[in-house]
Amino acid sequence: MRPTLLASDLHLSPERPALASAFRTFCAGPARNAAAVYLLGDLFDWWIGDDQLRDPFDAAVAEAIAGVVRAGVPVHVAHGNRDFMLGAEFAASTGIAFLPEQAVVDLGGTPTLVSHGDELCTGDVDYQRYRARMRDPATQRRLRRLPGFVRRWLARRLRARSRDATSLKPESILDVDDGAVAGAFRRFGVARMIHGHTHRPATHHVDVDGSPRVRIVLPDWCETARYLEVDERGARVRDVPGAQA
Amino acid sequence: MKKVRLDTTLGAVVLELDDANAPATVANFLQYVADGHYDDTLFHRVIPGFMVQGGGFAPGMNQKRTRAPVANEAGNGLKNRKYTVAMARTGEPHSATAQFFINVADNDFLDYKGPSPQGWGYCVFGKVVEGSDVVDAIAKVPTGSSGFHQDVPRSDVVIRKAEAIA
Repeated sequence: MRPTLLASDLHLSPERPALASAFRTFCAGPARNAAAVYLLGDLFDWWIGDDQLRDPFDAAVAEAIAGVVRAGVPVHVAHGNRDFMLGAEFAASTGIAFLPEQAVVDLGGTPTLVSHGDELCTGDVDYQRYRARMRDPATQRRLRRLPGFVRRWLARRLRARSRDATSLKPESILDVDDGAVAGAFRRFGVARMIHGHTHRPATHHVDVDGSPRVRIVLPDWCETARYLEVDERGARVRDVPGAQA
Repeated sequence: MKKVRLDTTLGAVVLELDDANAPATVANFLQYVADGHYDDTLFHRVIPGFMVQGGGFAPGMNQKRTRAPVANEAGNGLKNRKYTVAMARTGEPHSATAQFFINVADNDFLDYKGPSPQGWGYCVFGKVVEGSDVVDAIAKVPTGSSGFHQDVPRSDVVIRKAEAIA
């Protein structure tokens, strides 16, 4: 059976062309032989509106994804905290389908909860407040009405604030909250969860209500371009061939 | 170099225009000045820490008619530094008409990077040589939403008159 591939926190941006090149390699190679591809948030380092598609860099990323879809491989995209403005035009130009905030999907016969993962960081109250505001449709309508140069300024300010804020907080708050993880396992009744966001790739074995569960945190692309391959035999991390981030 | 004085409700601002590096943009701006276009227009978008924008709306947020757009000369090497003045535009690089903005911070992300829609940048064509304190005062006025517009000063900041002074 063909494996399903999952990646997150690629943070693609024109400032890091090698990453984009690794992503194109991923799309032209492994992704086309997959059963499906899941991009679980922060594909782009920033996305302030689908008019970014008119930029050659972003258009090239979209075209790489469209190539995977044209090859007959479904591509599912979750919104991250940096690219929460990815919208209908992006979906139409690539052929991707957006995932809801949390979704249960069948991966190699195992029902698996997939999400970006920031919704699990409930210990960071300021962040959750910001997140709720940014995901509010009214806020997004207001943002879309802003002229491009204002949105770019805003994106930079939000990024800078995110960097400042994270550097000042204790480590524990930036990771997922154990209670939120247990709650999600209970609510969705699954034995496996896969998410990104924290940049702390690992496989965690946890016990919830007496039954074993697995939580896989996807690797970010800050150092190396890596993705998760899942099939009926299990899950393993793979390097994008020849990739240097 | 040519200078233009903006007589605003918060004081006078003098702009020195760099016609050596942005000839078409400066000529375009001076034509609007000569036509009296900027007289009784608003600073209608004020974002502290970023920029103050004006030159397109009469009080009541009524958009004024403009001439054809001017070519984008952002590749002239001038940078969007604090207290420089640059042309506002839509997402299309060569769409600037009358609206301009004064940077109130170093906004290097607005500089020309290359001839792509996102890389064209915003054309700097002059700088504030008198009245930077007035610019600071404009940047500090309270703002809110007005119809579809955001970051609009709650009480009008008006350019009463714009005139070429040298």
